[in-house]
Amino acid sequence: MSNIIKRYYIGQPNELQILNGISLTVHEGEFVAIVGASGSGKSTLMNMIGALDKPTEGSYLLNGVDVSKLSDKQLSEIRNKEIGFVFQTFNLISRTNALKNVEMPMLYAGVSRKERSKRAMELLEMVEMEDRYTHKPNELSGGQKQRVAIARAMANDPSIILADEPTGALDSKTGRMVMDIFHKLHKKEGKTVVLITHSPELASETERIITISDGSIISDTGYKGNAPAKEVSAE
Amino acid sequence: MSFFENLKMAFSSIAANKMRSLLTMLGIIIGISAVITITTLGTTLRATVKGALDSLGTNLFYVYLTEKNVDNYYDSYDIETTPEDLISMSMLEELIAKYPDEIRIAEENPIGSGTLRNTEKKDVPVNIVGAYDGTLDYNGCKILAGRNITMEDVTRKKYTCVVSHIFVKQYFKNGENPIGHVISINMENGAAYEFTIVGVYRYNTLVNGAGPNGTDEMKTPIYIPNTIALQLQGNYYFDGFWGIPLTFNVKYDANDVKAHIQNFFDEKYASNKNFTIGVNSAMDELKTIDMVINVITIIVSVIAAISLIVGGVGVMNIMLVSVTERTREIGVRKALGAKKRAIKRQFVTEAIIICLIGGIIGILIGLLNGELIGIVANMIIKSEPSYSEILGNVTIQPSFGAIIISLIFSMLTGVFFGLYPASKAAKMNPIDALRYD
Repeated sequence: MSNIIKRYYIGQPNELQILNGISLTVHEGEFVAIVGASGSGKSTLMNMIGALDKPTEGSYLLNGVDVSKLSDKQLSEIRNKEIGFVFQTFNLISRTNALKNVEMPMLYAGVSRKERSKRAMELLEMVEMEDRYTHKPNELSGGQKQRVAIARAMANDPSIILADEPTGALDSKTGRMVMDIFHKLHKKEGKTVVLITHSPELASETERIITISDGSIISDTGYKGNAPAKEVSAE
Repeated sequence: MSFFENLKMAFSSIAANKMRSLLTMLGIIIGISAVITITTLGTTLRATVKGALDSLGTNLFYVYLTEKNVDNYYDSYDIETTPEDLISMSMLEELIAKYPDEIRIAEENPIGSGTLRNTEKKDVPVNIVGAYDGTLDYNGCKILAGRNITMEDVTRKKYTCVVSHIFVKQYFKNGENPIGHVISINMENGAAYEFTIVGVYRYNTLVNGAGPNGTDEMKTPIYIPNTIALQLQGNYYFDGFWGIPLTFNVKYDANDVKAHIQNFFDEKYASNKNFTIGVNSAMDELKTIDMVINVITIIVSVIAAISLIVGGVGVMNIMLVSVTERTREIGVRKALGAKKRAIKRQFVTEAIIICLIGGIIGILIGLLNGELIGIVANMIIKSEPSYSEILGNVTIQPSFGAIIISLIFSMLTGVFFGLYPASKAAKMNPIDALRYD
């Protein structure tokens, strides 16, 4: 997986450059942490990686597809199939139970009903939530909710798991448990995990730490894996 | 995403806000129930009026002599008729012989009043009316016992008569069976004639008028064969009719009967230089009444349907609130890969389902209203026997066309008023939506 992310402005009269030309490549199977203080531009970068937004300039290649040139509909498909979001506040749909929440990305992908619930149960087993599949989010603890959310992120077997402060709303014990799941996904399933956090401790658990400040990368510990040599494209 | 999934989603979100959904539906419920109530009333009213008119003789044709080649009465040349031009009794007999089960003569010929002295030596006043086999039917009089005047009574000049049930009460104080009884009628000119009672009919006060002094003093008609009546009038040389009412058996189609009558007389008058026969139908008047009821029903329904727009705006309002409330959910769905179209469809489906449920509840309430009105109407009719005789039992007849149209209309309301909130939801930027509190 080769990523090149670049500049981004918002607002017309008060043009604000949040990302000042960021270039980075994340390889398949990497566990990367993007660290930065609030306002550093890490959320904007996350939106770019998650195909929620397109860069104003520059290009972003995801599995060889230039995401920056895709239509709104195609971005939806990329988000659906290639990205697995894990949010700080879980963002489960409160009206439906855990199983239905996990099924949701598959619903939009057009997976059949039978297959959906089978896969969703497997995923809930993976995060050890299979006995609570009928519970609604308000009947679950924070850690349990986040585990369901991780299962949901895995639903369509995405290329990247994009976790935005996944332990931010959890106590240290449940946070630990969630982090363990990410490690498991990374090691056992070989998933590419991008962890966005402001906490250096959490970041230190990962293979590679990219630090962002004022819309620029100020440090990158670099790729440690044995995938093809990393390519970092200049702007 | 399948249609079924969409429905399930819509139902779950409606169920999550039951009270609010119900209140939202209220406008639709009121609108649709009003439309259904009104259309039910309209169709019922039409059927009841038609039934009542039928029993009073919409199955009536007036056959009349008219000048040939004149379309308008005012253009007529006032040609003198000769006895040969008139509609003769033999013609009518021939017509009835041709269509024995179908056509009857409804002519009536009141020849004056008379009295009868009953067993208590009291005089019972009566009107004497010359009749044919269709006269009583045409007057809405039902035979209670015995038989009607027949064409045989008329042609054979039999001294038979049919009396009213009120007359029976007035005359037979001991409750004997009046059928076969011979009564002597004292005419105004002093002569007395004896008639055999062959039948008793029910005198309808609503149609035939009530006497001012109650049942004991009421003067009701005694029907006798018109040939006898004409003789009693001193009219031994009866030439024929300028015009005559005919009734027909309702099991035949009115248009067929009309054609039969017209064709019969066209043939008879083919060789007549000046005159021919016209046939007028009471059905034409029924059509006018029908049209009036229809127009009233449609106008009031349209007014009621306007309340649907108010209901629809209510739905739109709540959908907008719902979209704002669920901004975060929309953001999550978009982040998880929901396309604009899927979000739009989700909210439009929800609006349609709200309106459709409202519509169905409205239809049920409308039908219930109809039934209640039917019960009340029947109670009123039953309390007044002279009404119930004509109107019978009112059966509520919901308009199925209106039900189908209401369902479609409430769905369209959902589409129309759901579209704007839904596209607002679909257009949301997922980043902003996810950040929304």
